[in-house]
Amino acid sequence: MLWKPHHLIRKRTSFDFLGKRKIALVLSSVVNLAALVGVFVFGLNFGIDFQGGIAIQVRAKQGQVQLDALRSELGNLGVGEVTLQEFGDKSTALVRVQRQEGNAECVAHADAVMKRRAGNGWSVKPGPDSKTGDVDFTAPSTLDGAGWRDAVSQVGLTLQERQVPRANSNTARIDMSLEQRAEWCQQVAIKVVDDTIKDRYEIRSTESVGPKVGGELMQSGIWAVVATLGAIAVYVWFRFEWQFGVGALIALLHDVLSTVGIFVLFHLDFSLTALAALLTIAGYSVNDTVVIFDRVRENMRRYKKMGLIELLNFSINETLARTIMTAGTVFVAVLALVLFGGPVLYSFSIAMLWGVIVGTYSSIWIASACLVYMKLRPEQLRLGKDDEAKAKA
Amino acid sequence: MLNLPRWQVIGIIAITALAALFALPNLLPGSVLDKLPAWYQASRINLGLDLRGGAHFLLEVDLRSVLNERLTNLSDSARGELRKQQIGFKDVTVQNGTSVEVVLRDASQRNKAIEALRTVDPSLQIGGDGDTIQIAFSNQDLVRRKKEVIDQSIEILRRRVDETGTIEPTITREGDDRILLQVPGIKDTTDLKQKINQTAKLTFHLVNEEVAQAGQNIPATLPPTTFLAPTREGMQALRLANPKAYEQITTANPRMSPEQVCRRFQPPCLPVFKRIVVGGEDLDDAKATFESQQQGGRPIISFTFNSAGGRAFCAATRANIGKRLAIQLDSEIISAPVVQSAICGGSGIITGQFTPQQTQEQALLLRSGALPATLTIIEERTVGADLGADAIHAGALAAVVGTILVILFMLFVYGPLFGGFASLAMLVNLLLVLAGMSLLGASLTLPGIAGLVLTVGMSVDSNVLIYERVREERENGRSAFSALATGYDRALTAVIDSNLTALIAGVLLFGMGSGPIKGFATSLTLGLLTHLFTATVFTRMLLAVWVRWRRPTELPV
Repeated sequence: MLWKPHHLIRKRTSFDFLGKRKIALVLSSVVNLAALVGVFVFGLNFGIDFQGGIAIQVRAKQGQVQLDALRSELGNLGVGEVTLQEFGDKSTALVRVQRQEGNAECVAHADAVMKRRAGNGWSVKPGPDSKTGDVDFTAPSTLDGAGWRDAVSQVGLTLQERQVPRANSNTARIDMSLEQRAEWCQQVAIKVVDDTIKDRYEIRSTESVGPKVGGELMQSGIWAVVATLGAIAVYVWFRFEWQFGVGALIALLHDVLSTVGIFVLFHLDFSLTALAALLTIAGYSVNDTVVIFDRVRENMRRYKKMGLIELLNFSINETLARTIMTAGTVFVAVLALVLFGGPVLYSFSIAMLWGVIVGTYSSIWIASACLVYMKLRPEQLRLGKDDEAKAKA
Repeated sequence: MLNLPRWQVIGIIAITALAALFALPNLLPGSVLDKLPAWYQASRINLGLDLRGGAHFLLEVDLRSVLNERLTNLSDSARGELRKQQIGFKDVTVQNGTSVEVVLRDASQRNKAIEALRTVDPSLQIGGDGDTIQIAFSNQDLVRRKKEVIDQSIEILRRRVDETGTIEPTITREGDDRILLQVPGIKDTTDLKQKINQTAKLTFHLVNEEVAQAGQNIPATLPPTTFLAPTREGMQALRLANPKAYEQITTANPRMSPEQVCRRFQPPCLPVFKRIVVGGEDLDDAKATFESQQQGGRPIISFTFNSAGGRAFCAATRANIGKRLAIQLDSEIISAPVVQSAICGGSGIITGQFTPQQTQEQALLLRSGALPATLTIIEERTVGADLGADAIHAGALAAVVGTILVILFMLFVYGPLFGGFASLAMLVNLLLVLAGMSLLGASLTLPGIAGLVLTVGMSVDSNVLIYERVREERENGRSAFSALATGYDRALTAVIDSNLTALIAGVLLFGMGSGPIKGFATSLTLGLLTHLFTATVFTRMLLAVWVRWRRPTELPV
C-alpha cells in the first residue's frame, strides 16, 4: 500500500447539532429576511434575459477600456440607460443597454443610422397613424424591390414581399404593429451603439432580448423554480413521509431565497445561468438532505425507543463524514470553475459555491429541525424492509 | 451482492469500452484525429454557438397579417363571384381578423349566394342567417396554412442563408409561431440580415415557340425580345455530369446570367420572352394535390394568384393557348407547362407526368419566391469566434483542474486503491456523458462544461456513501467481506434516492431552457443518469472483481 487512507473525522462524533436549532432558526430567519428585504429595496441586478435589453461585450483595440468616458459617451446617445462593467480583464467590458421602447425617438435613431450607413439622402419617419408602428422610409432616388430590401437591412429590418414597394419608388411605408416596432428598435439600438464605438472597440459578442421574450423567460423561470421545488417535495413525500417532504421543501425555499440574497449582496448578474444555478443548488441541497433522511428513517425503525432529537443528532453524526466529503469534492470542483471558468460563468460559479455551503447547512439545521417541530414519531413511518424481515422472523 | 456472474462483468466492460470509443474523438488532438476514418471523426460532439462563434436568431412569424391578407383576398373573390352571378349585396367586409361578412340586398337569394361562395373555395365554413352570411376558413385549412407559412419561411431562410451549401445553418420551428435560426461561424450579422432579405426571383415568361421549334438547343442568334435559360433538370444533370462546371456557376462573381450559363456549358435550355407575364410576388399559394378521379387522379400542382396577378395571368393565357409558359426561379426554369385554356379567376393547375413527390417539390419551389410573412427578430445572440475560443480554453482548464482536484481529494481520503476505484468510476462516468452527448447529437455549451465539472464533483458521492458506510460497518465489528457487502447494500437506497431527486431539477431545467442553458441541463441530466449506472453497476463490479481476486481480510479504506 502506497499510503494509508485518511479519516477526515477520527472517531464517531456526537455533536449536539439540533441543540443549536434555535440559534440556527434565528440566523436563517435573519439571512432570509435580509435577502427578501434586499430584493425589494435594492432589487435584483436582472440580466437582459429576464428584462429584455442588449448586452454587448467589447474589447479595446488598444490599451484598456476607458470605463467612465465610454459610460458618459454611450449614456448620451439617447438609447436609454446604459451600464458598463469590466468583464474578465481591463481591456474588456460589458455594455448593457436597457430594453427599447418602440417610440418616436427610436425612429429618429433609425433615421440617423440610415443616413450614416446608406447616405445622407435617406430619411426615416414614423407613419401618420400613431396607433400603429408604421415607419416611412424615403430614399434619395427611386429603388426597385431588391434595392429596398438591401437598404432596409442596414437598420435590421426583414421585409415581407407585400411590404416592398411594387413599382419603382422612392418612398415606402413599412407597416408594423407597435409591438413589432419595439422589437425592431432593439436592432436599431444595437446599430447606434455599434456605430459609436466600432472604431475603437472590437465587438466580441452581441446579445439582444426583445420585450416579448424577456417577459416569457421571466415567467417560465419562475415556473421552473416553483415546479422543481414542488416536484422534489412530492418525490420526498412519496419515498418517505409527508413530514420529510415538508422539511425538504422548507430547506429548499431557504436555500433558494438565501442564494437570491447573495445575488443582491454582490450585485451579481441575475440571468438564465443564475436560474440554472438556483435549480442546481436545489438539486444538490435535496441530494444532501435525502442522504440524512434516509439514515433517519433507518435509525427510527431500528431504535424505536430513542428520543427524536437524540436520534436526529445520532443520524447526522453518522453521516457527517460523508456530508463533509461530498461537500468537499463539489466545493473544489466549483472552485475550479470560479478560478478558471472565465467571466461568463462567474455569477453562476459564485452562486454554486454559496449553494454548496447553504445546501449542507440546511440539510442539518432546516430540513432535520423541521422534523423536530413536526414531532415525527416512529409509528408514523410506513413499514420498510427491516420491519418485514423482523415480522417474518 | 458482491457475486457478479461473468457475463455481467463482460457486459459492463463492453459498455464502458463502447462509451470510451464514442467519447474518444472529443479528447484526441486534431492531428491524430485527421488520420482516422471520417465516420469516426463525425461522432464528435457539436460545439454550441457560444464556444464555436456564430449567430442565434429567434424570429417571430407574423401569422396574423397573413390571415388578414387572406381574408382580404377572400372578400375580393366573394365580391367578384357575387357580381358574376348577379346577386345583389349591400356590403362585404372583413370582420376583426376571423371571417368575412356578406350582407345581401335580398334575403331570399341566400341559398344562391351560398352556392356561389362555395365555388370560391369549397372548404369554407359558412354561417349567419337572414341577409347576412359569415364565411370563414375551416380550422383544418387554417392549421394547414399555418404549417405551410412556417415551412415555407424555413425553406426560404435555408435557401437564402445557405446559398452555397457550406454554411450549415440550423433552422427549426420553435413553439407555435417562431423559427430558430442558428448560423455557426459568422461575424457580421448585417450581412446575414441582408441575405434573409434577398428574395428568390420567381417569374412567369412565355416560351418563344418559333425559336424553340427551330430545334436547336442553343441557337447562335436570338431575337432581342428573347433570352435563353437552363431548365432545372438540365442543371441537375450538369451538376452530376460535371460538378466542377456547376461549382463554377454557383460561385461566379459577378453572377452569370442564365444565357451565359447556356452558352458556356450547354445544358438543356429554353428560349423565353423577356417580358414578365406575372411575378412571384403575386402568387399567393401553390400546393401539391390530385385531380379528380374522373380526370384520372394524377398528381398535379394547383396555384392561386392575388387579384392583380390573376388579371394579368388571365389575359396572357387567353392569348396564348397551346403555347408553353415557363416558370423561372432565380436563373433556372423549374417547369414549362402548356397552356390548355384561358386561366381566369385567379387560380389554375399544372398537370404533367409528375409523381406525388415531384408535385410536392414543385409546389414548394413555386412558393419559395416570396417570404410569406414578416419575420421579426425577437432574440439575437452573436458570439465572435475568438471569444468562443477563449471560452473553450477557460472551460477546458476549469474542467481539467476540477477533475484533478477531486481525484487528489479522493485518493488522499480513501487511499490509492479505493480512491482509485472512485476516480476510475468518475472518469468512466465522464466518458459515458461525452458518449451520450455524441450519440444524442447534443451541443456542448459553456454552461454545459460547467455541468460536466459539477458532474465530476457530484458523481464521486456514491462512492463516498458506500465507503463511509463500509467504514461504519467495519467499526461495528463486521468482517472485511461482510462490511463491504452490507455497506454497499445499505448505501444503495441513499444513492438512488439522492440522484433521482437531483434529476428532477435537471429535467425541469431542460424543459424550460434554451440555447446554452439547455446545454447545461443536458450535461447535468446525462451526468446524473450515467452516474446511476456507474454507482450501481460499475463500482459494484470493481469491488466484486477485487474481492474475488484478493479475498481480503483487511479493507484499505
